[in-house]
Amino acid sequence: MGAEPTEPPKVRAKLWDGPTRIVHWALVILIGFAWWCVKANQTEWHLWAGYGILGLIVFRLIWGFAGSASARFTSFVKGPRATLAYAQTLSKRSAVDVAGHNPLGGWSVVAILAAILSQVITGLFSVDVDGLESGPLSDRVSFETGRLFAKWHDLSFTAIKLLVVLHLSAIAFYALYKRANLITPMITGYRAFEADPKLSFAPLWRAGLVAVAAAAVTWWVMKGLRP
Amino acid sequence: MAFQKQLLALSLLAGLVSGVSVVQAHEHMGPMPTTPAGKAVYTRHENFKQQGAAFKAVRDELKKDAPNMALISSNAAKLKSSADALPTWFPKGSGPEAKYETDAKPEIWSDPVKFAAAVKRLQVETAKFQPIAAGGDLGAIKAQAQAVGGACKNCHDSFRVPEEK
Repeated sequence: MGAEPTEPPKVRAKLWDGPTRIVHWALVILIGFAWWCVKANQTEWHLWAGYGILGLIVFRLIWGFAGSASARFTSFVKGPRATLAYAQTLSKRSAVDVAGHNPLGGWSVVAILAAILSQVITGLFSVDVDGLESGPLSDRVSFETGRLFAKWHDLSFTAIKLLVVLHLSAIAFYALYKRANLITPMITGYRAFEADPKLSFAPLWRAGLVAVAAAAVTWWVMKGLRP
Repeated sequence: MAFQKQLLALSLLAGLVSGVSVVQAHEHMGPMPTTPAGKAVYTRHENFKQQGAAFKAVRDELKKDAPNMALISSNAAKLKSSADALPTWFPKGSGPEAKYETDAKPEIWSDPVKFAAAVKRLQVETAKFQPIAAGGDLGAIKAQAQAVGGACKNCHDSFRVPEEK
């Protein structure tokens, strides 16, 4: 055996803030639950799950502008050149030391958020075939249009399922091929870096304020946009 | 620069969302087929759409702070007459074997006793609903509307092809 290359010292530093992690895992749980509700014919619960998801997505969108550095869209939404440049490094065995979403992952986040948003919006206008449980904004559209929204709701869910498969495949690829663990940081918030990225984090009171705003928007939508 | 990036992210998000809606063509049945089975499937679909619209009109009113009672009453009458006519919407040969797109299950014709009972339940509930709707007691209307919807669901669960889940 020759001399092993000495590993550079690693620094454990915070990467994902609490709100981002909570939103992530709450979305996993609630989307899974909403899916189960449909399978089990629990339409009333399905609507409640949908309201929860609406609140989470509104929170995450605001947090993308007002949250911690690693949660902001400006920090991870990159142009085509940077994205392409990153894509060309994918085959390298070593993970690039990006403090947050890499350019490809950033676009995956945008796609997942868009799919969830379209899922929620189509659900709001959906009319079910028995007419018993319908979205809170379904009275704004005709029966036929409401049924059409239900079809789009289903189509949009196919998009979410595909994105989830892609998401999990990427995590597996980073784990097996690049030896980079993406899961633990999303649970604990901490990751080992070559050097401390010194990310800035939003104070908790701001998360509280955004949560109140998201809850208010959700309440308003639940009530059919009535004051 | 930062602001431009945020704008880019936001507009892309909006684009993706609206893209989903635009890609979809509006559902329509096209012209009425000329064969008897085709005509039956087509007419049945139109009739159910009208029945669904009438029930939705009731439900929409019931969501409001001040429901329009006249609208509830007129749609309750529509529901009753459409439920009464419903048995004629399923002539033999208008099932999936007719090769027209339909969610009617073959069990409608292979288990006519059970189907007749499911239809009867809708007729009973809509017959009850009409005087209640005309009466104007909001609580009673809400309860009976629930019973009418339950009758729709009861029949769909056995005799309508389930939606993809």
